[in-house]
Amino acid sequence: MAKTEQADTHPSTGRGLLAALCAWIVPGLGHAMLGRWAKAVAYFVAVSVLAISALAMRGEVLPAASTDAFDRLGFVADLGTGAYYFFSGTLERQGADVSKAPGDYGTRIFAAAGVLNFLIIMEAYEIGRRPPRREAAETQTKAA
Amino acid sequence: MLNHFQAMLVFAFCVSLAFAFLTKRRLGERIRYAVWAFLAFMLVAVGIGWLMFPFSH
Repeated sequence: MAKTEQADTHPSTGRGLLAALCAWIVPGLGHAMLGRWAKAVAYFVAVSVLAISALAMRGEVLPAASTDAFDRLGFVADLGTGAYYFFSGTLERQGADVSKAPGDYGTRIFAAAGVLNFLIIMEAYEIGRRPPRREAAETQTKAA
Repeated sequence: MLNHFQAMLVFAFCVSLAFAFLTKRRLGERIRYAVWAFLAFMLVAVGIGWLMFPFSH
């Protein structure tokens, strides 16, 4: 009994990390795993629309082997989109074209989607590691 | 293919939506914040566009 109570009032780093990992792979999945459905849908829509629009505009998705410092920074930002980064080759069949303005906008928008998802990942981690008792109390307060 | 203005609309909508859910807890607050952030994005972008207009010639 005492052990269960202790587990209910202590932060769970493992649960937080799992939520963060899910949120990174598919935007919104971490919040869905934690039962935050409204947030999950909003985050999935926001990041997906940004990433898919960017790829439709033929924006450049920066590779890990970038040599320039700004490109490396761009790679880190792009990586934040999770599945969209790894499937960008499939989604953007014609390849990137930054010789035209829309391609350039697409490159920036894809990086913005990644950075936005990093914020979402951090929130998923923070909610996930909350002790279940505190989480339940907050949900009740929110519902009231 | 989206033009510059359409890309700006999509960006402002998605970022405003995500920020509203990240920073506000109640539905009413979220809607007010998302609308305010969206309009602020648009106003600032159009304002900066006009400020840069003299340098385009």
